[in-house]
Parts: sequence; C-alpha cells; structure tokens
Amino acid sequence: MATTVSMIPKIRDGLRATFRSGMTRPIAWRQHQLYQLARMAQNERELICDALKKDLGKPRTEVLMAEVGSIIERAVKSAQQLPEWAKTEYPEVADWQKPWKPTLYKAPRGTVLIVSPWNYPMILSFQPLIGAIAAGCTAVLKPSELVPTFSQLLAEIVPKYLDPNTYRVVNGAVPEISKLLELQWDHIFYTGNGRVARIIASAAAKHLTPLTLELGGKSPVIIDSAYDHDLAAKRILWGKCNNAGQICVAPDYVLVQRDKQDELVRAFQKHYNAFFPEGALDSPSFGSIVSDSHHKRLTSLLSRTKGDVVLQGRADAARRRLEPTIVKNVAGGDSLLEEELFGPILPIVPVDSLDQAVDFVNARSHPLVLYAFSDKESVKQQLVSETQSGGIVFNDTFQQLAVHELPFAGVGESGYGYQVMKYTYDTFTQLRSSIDMPKEAEPYLAIRYPPHSEEAVKALTAAVYTPIPPSRQ
Amino acid sequence: MSSLNYTSKEQIKEENADALKASLKADLGRYPFEATLPELGPMVSSALHAAENLETWSSPEKPQVEAWRSGWDTTIFKAPKGTVVNISPWNFPWVLTILPLISAIATGCTCLIKPSEHAQASAALIAELIPKYLDPDAYAVCLGAVEEATYVLSLKWDHIFYTGSEKVGRIVAEAAAKQLTPVTLELGGQSPVFVDGDSTNIEIAAKRILWGKQQNAGQVCVAPNHVFVQEQYQSALVEAFRKAYDSFWPNGPLDSSSEMARVVNVHHYERNKSLLSSTKGKVAFGGQAGQDLRIEPAIVTGVTMKDPLMGEEIFGPILPIIPVADVDAAISHIQLSPTPLVIYVFTENEEIKNKFVQRTQSGQLILNETFAQVAVYEIPFGGQGESGYGSYLGKYSFDTFTHQRGYINVPADEGTEGFMQGRYPPYSAPALEFFSQALKTKIPDA
Repeated sequence: MATTVSMIPKIRDGLRATFRSGMTRPIAWRQHQLYQLARMAQNERELICDALKKDLGKPRTEVLMAEVGSIIERAVKSAQQLPEWAKTEYPEVADWQKPWKPTLYKAPRGTVLIVSPWNYPMILSFQPLIGAIAAGCTAVLKPSELVPTFSQLLAEIVPKYLDPNTYRVVNGAVPEISKLLELQWDHIFYTGNGRVARIIASAAAKHLTPLTLELGGKSPVIIDSAYDHDLAAKRILWGKCNNAGQICVAPDYVLVQRDKQDELVRAFQKHYNAFFPEGALDSPSFGSIVSDSHHKRLTSLLSRTKGDVVLQGRADAARRRLEPTIVKNVAGGDSLLEEELFGPILPIVPVDSLDQAVDFVNARSHPLVLYAFSDKESVKQQLVSETQSGGIVFNDTFQQLAVHELPFAGVGESGYGYQVMKYTYDTFTQLRSSIDMPKEAEPYLAIRYPPHSEEAVKALTAAVYTPIPPSRQ
Repeated sequence: MSSLNYTSKEQIKEENADALKASLKADLGRYPFEATLPELGPMVSSALHAAENLETWSSPEKPQVEAWRSGWDTTIFKAPKGTVVNISPWNFPWVLTILPLISAIATGCTCLIKPSEHAQASAALIAELIPKYLDPDAYAVCLGAVEEATYVLSLKWDHIFYTGSEKVGRIVAEAAAKQLTPVTLELGGQSPVFVDGDSTNIEIAAKRILWGKQQNAGQVCVAPNHVFVQEQYQSALVEAFRKAYDSFWPNGPLDSSSEMARVVNVHHYERNKSLLSSTKGKVAFGGQAGQDLRIEPAIVTGVTMKDPLMGEEIFGPILPIIPVADVDAAISHIQLSPTPLVIYVFTENEEIKNKFVQRTQSGQLILNETFAQVAVYEIPFGGQGESGYGSYLGKYSFDTFTHQRGYINVPADEGTEGFMQGRYPPYSAPALEFFSQALKTKIPDA
C-alpha cells in the first residue's frame, strides 16, 4: 500500500521538525532506538522470513544467516560503540595552535533518505538506517516495491519499535519516489543500479545533497592456474548460489587459464551435485528470481550466448525458478558479458595468462569487488596495484560481507560512499570543525593587522622560504 | 613519485614568489602581505606537510578484527581514485588551485586543473609554471571560460573538486550525476557572526571581525558576512569597529599607502555600490567607492533580515549589523537561513557556546576569531547543506582523492574450510544453529 504522495512533504517536514527539536541528540536516546531495531529484527524474524519467502522465494536460512542476524548484531554493537564514535575529538596540532583548542564535533547531518533494493531488503534497508540512527539523524526509509509483502510488513512493524516522529517508512513506486526526490534531504543513501543512481544523483544535484551510491557491476573472478581449482569452484559456486546470484557482490564471471578450464568445469559440476543432490529447481536451499521480467531477461541472455553450456539449469517461468547454469568458452562480446548478470548464470572466460586476465578486467568498468584465487604474493601484489575495484577479495567470495571492520564501497561505476558499522556512522555524520581563540592571544595576533611593518611581513611570510628537501625524478 | 612532485611545487613558489605576487596584484589588487600570508605561505607548507605525512597516510591499514577472522589478513588499501579535476575560483586563485592539486599528487592521482578566467594573470602564470616544474603527462592545466568548463564537466572523472558559487555548484553536481562521479563542493554562503555583548571583549571582537572581513575586500568564502548583536550593544560595537578601522588604515582605506585589496571587476564593484545605496540600514562609516575598483569597508547598522544586503552572500567589503533581542533571536534567524560555511561566535559564556553547538548547523563553528581556522590542517575545511559537501586540508585532502579498498585473504586450509562447511547448501538445521549466533545476541535493557 503506497504512501499518499501529498503526505510525503509533510512527512519530511515533520522529520525536520523532530531533528530541530534536538530529540535525537542524546546518546542514550539513540542507543535505545538501536536496541529497539535489534528487538524488532529478533522478535519479528519469522514474519520477515515469511515475507521474503513469499516475495523472493528466499530460503529461510539465507534470510536468517545473511540478513536478520547481521542487523541484530550490528545494531547492538553500534549502540555499544556509539559513545566512542560520538566523542568530540581534539586533534593533535602544532604548539603554536594548541591554545586555539582545535575541536571536531560529530554533528548529525540532519534529515536523510534511504532507498533500498529488493534483493537483500532486510540488511540493505537497516544497515544504512543503523548508521543514520547512530549519527542522530531523522530518516525516511523507502523499501523496494518489488518486495511488496516485505515493504508492507515494514510499514507495520517499524512504527511499533522505532519512534515514528523520527523514522518513517514510505512505500510506493515511481510517483512516490519522484516526490521524495523533489524534496531536499541532508543525505541520500541509495543502493541499487547505475541507471536509477543517475536519476537520483541528478535530483540530488538540484539541492546540493550529498550522496552515497552503492551500486554493482560485473564482479570478476580471476583464478591463478596454480591454485586448487576444486576449492575455488566450491567457494565460487557458493557465492553465486546465494539468493540465486541476485546480489551486488555475486561473482559474475570467471577468468581461468585455458588449459585448466575443463578441470574447473568438472569441479563446478561436482560441487553443484553436493549442494543440490536433487537439483536446485525445487531445493529449499535455493532462491527464486525476483520477477517475471528478470526471469525472462536471464533466459534470453542464455539463449543468445555463443559459449558452450556445460551445466544446463532447468527453468520454470511460472514459479520464477532458474537453476544455476554454467557456460564455458565465453569470449568478449558475448551476451553474458553485456551487463551485470544478477542471476544464477556463470560464464567462464578462458585466458592465456594472468596479464590477459588483468587486461580483460581493466578494459571494463570498475567492479564493486574483484575476486581472485591465488596463494602467490606476486599475484596478489600485481592485482592490488594494477586493478581498481570497490574491494578486493582473495580466495573466497561473499564472505567479506561478514568483515564489518572493512569499509564497503564501490568506485567508478560501482558507486561511492562507505558503509558498515563506523563507516555508516561517518557517512551520516558531519565533522564540524571548531577553534576557540583566547583573548590572551591578542598580543601574538597583533602583527597580522594592517598596517604591516617590514618585520611583521618577514615574520608572517617566513613559511614561503622554508627549505625544501632535495629530490630527483 | 609523489614527494618528488611536492618539492617541485614548493620550488615554484619560492623561485617565482615575485611573479606570483605580481599576478595577484594584477588580478585583485592584492598587496604583498595579502598575497603571501593566505596564498603562498599555505601552498608551501601544505606541500611540505603532505610530503612529510605521505607515508603514514598512504600505508595500508590493518584493522583489528574478531578472533574467528584473524587469519584473513584484513587490510584497507589507500587506492588513488584515478584522474581528477580541480575547478577553482578567482578570489584566491593560487591557493585554491594548488591545494587540491597537492592532494591529487599525494594520493597518486593524475590531475587537470582549471583556474578561473576571472583571475587572468594568475591563470596565465599557473599555466606557464606548472609544466615547468611538474610532470606534464600527469598534471595539466586547462584555461578557458564557460565553454571550456562545460566541456570538462561533460567528461568522465574519478573525482571533481569544485570551489565556487552555489549556482555553479548545482551545475557541477548535475554534470557529475550523469557519470556517477563523486564530487567535493566547496561553496560559500552568508556566514553569520554573533557578538555576545554581555560576555565578550567588544574591542577585541571588532578587531578580529574586521580583520577577517577586510581580507581580499570581503571576497572570501569564509568572510564574516553579517553580525548579530544584542540591541543594547550595537553602538559600542560600532565604536569598536571605528577604532579598529582607524588603526588598520590611519589614512583611510583608499589611500595609496593603505593595504586594502580591491573588488575583482566592474560588475562586482557596481553590485557592491548598488547594495550600499539600496540598504535600509544606516551606513555608520566607510563605503566610499574609489578609483581602481576599491571600496572602503562599510559598517551598516540597524539592518534587518529583509534588507537588500541580506539577499545573498555579500562577497564584498560591506558589513551589516543586525541588532537582535538576544542570542535566541539570532539563532532563530540562523536556523531559518541556508546552512552557512562558518558560524562565528564571540562569547565567553559556555551556555551560549553550547546553544550554537547543539541548535545550529554549519560547516565550521568558530569561536572568538575569524579566518584563522584555515591555518589548522588537522581540522577539515568544508560545508554543510547549501555551503557544500566534502572537505579538505591535511589528511582530509588525502582522503578526498583516495578510495579505501577493502581486502581479505581467506586461507585454504582444512581448518578454515571445516569451520565454514555449514554455509554450503543443502542448508541443515544444525548448520543454521551454528551460524545463527548473531540471532541470539543479548539485547541490553536500554
């Protein structure tokens, strides 16, 4: 059920008024809201699982493991670390500036908008919201209309646990999101695709609103020929099967040494059979495709591939099911390399050297994550210095999401702005600098006022003549 | 590589200091002191500061992680974003062009700088000197006006750093949106001052405010725009401004011996003159327009929020005084106005100071001073709301052009694989149990 368009500016104004009232400033107040969020996730988890099963066919295990658990843990941890994060800082400065008491206040940005996607809707709605709550912001959360049961559930349970004057869920589709984007926000946090990101960035530009864009792209996997291909296949397939490949950090395609391609394919087949002894079509351990149009998109891409299908996944359009499908001998220009797959199809691109793999990756947009399987330091060094990506993960896929000490962000087409734990807090916080010049400083400051004597000019401009260390190209 | 380029940059300034100063005199009528203190000096010290700290800033970080992941070599690399552009304004044409360039160099980015066409002598000299001292394959200068800037903005960059007006800031953000380019917008706004007559030393306050205002004839993003003061202290404040004014310019600001910059061009000169003639406030002193585009700083009293002087950022040598009943009235005006780059507060009263901290928003909150905060590299310089986003100086500059690239390396040993076995399908109840520790997190009663 959509929020009435005409209500939307009123909602925003109400949240602004709450912000201005100072209600969100006390740390204890924010901690309580964070604990409430954790309670909501804990108490309502079955309803959440049911809603996501209905909307996405997502296995209960995936929801609990990858979404609900993280939110509970991170909300509680954020509350516990918040006093440390929110502390006013007094940076170390040169002696002559110490009397000025340079200070960094952690100021909330204000009233923010969080727009979340359909694929991991629980974690991608609430992870940003945790940071916004911690920072002392007020917020609108706009979940995706492609998960209608889930969005409706949020509209019901969020106001039961979180202060409704401070955090609101707004539902709807194009008219509602357009209305939201007409308004001014102090920050917009968007997770989704590049096309919509451009629309949001353009709307934000009119209001000079800062943005976080968590996008996607084709996250490549490079396999060093010396690595254990059996283990690599297992870890890659696991990452690909999560949510039937519908995640921004899914391993999109694999670059393998030509003479190891068939070994890799056999390994994939072996692990597929272990994961899904009866096949994935009816397995409760494998999710569905989100919509008919996405199902069609994927089967259409498959029908146009010039590669060799080595693991033929069965498709059931009526139930939006699509089994993992592996295609080898894929070359540049293939249908499967056109766009982010966001589905359970795994193209394998044979290459003749690591350098070729690096060139292949560098010829394309910066991915959100680069996966590489190698034990060699030299390979790691080469990949770290010769490629660009949001993150770089060696010898596994997907698991980096558990590492909440790392900033999660894209670069280039995969987006910008950081999240997870303190990084999310920082995203919604403004470092407001301050100094306090003592009255007693006046005699020292006197030489800066005009008219300037020769001595004054000499003293105050000495910096220009600082000796520069020698150096050579 | 980076540190080599720093030293080149500093060399530019030292060897060419006179030429630099001459260009500023031509563009803005800057006297030598005002060319050096806010521009040449910081250029040299920023470059050296960055060179000294480069290793620390660029070293990969190894954050502490939970025990079960301690074998994953969790690292944050400081990766250069790539190819960046800095579009700089006319008012401080050297320092605002060079400081972002310094960070680009430090982070390992390549950089295009586009100085303003309104400071022609400076832009020309920049274009001449940069290729002499820096690697021209890595750092380039683009000269031109609207057409060239528009073309630059149509290209894909890894970061756009823009310093200038709100109006153009929107244009820059719009262009960046098409390419999903991250942006830093250093804009301006009407930075207010509050003078608490009850607790502050009005003489010192007036001197410090006037000093900040007269920098570059008020043409600075952090210029104190207007002053709120309790009604009963307005005349005392005006007296104090008079005293400071006379001490700065014993022969008057327009005298040839006086150190006082000029307005940048005829358009802005006429704009300032027009503001002075249309104000409903009273010009207490100053404001006389001279030749050579110089205008005496003017103190205008009894101004209200609806006055023509309050229509937009003055960016000139006019200082309106707005009398208010009390600090709450001043804060109320500030809250209803666009978020400024700086709020200046002159007070010794902790409660008043705290009111500004809690109830107002601004890029910076500066107490008992104007302008000097830009000398502190350890505090970020940047706006909030309409005054922009992103920040720089010191490490903040470095972070602007850096992407923090997360890295893990998950071991292939049997221990790790065994530990993670339960994550693979088919999902079983015991496996779920194992991975669901987080679900059972004890939530404190709070």
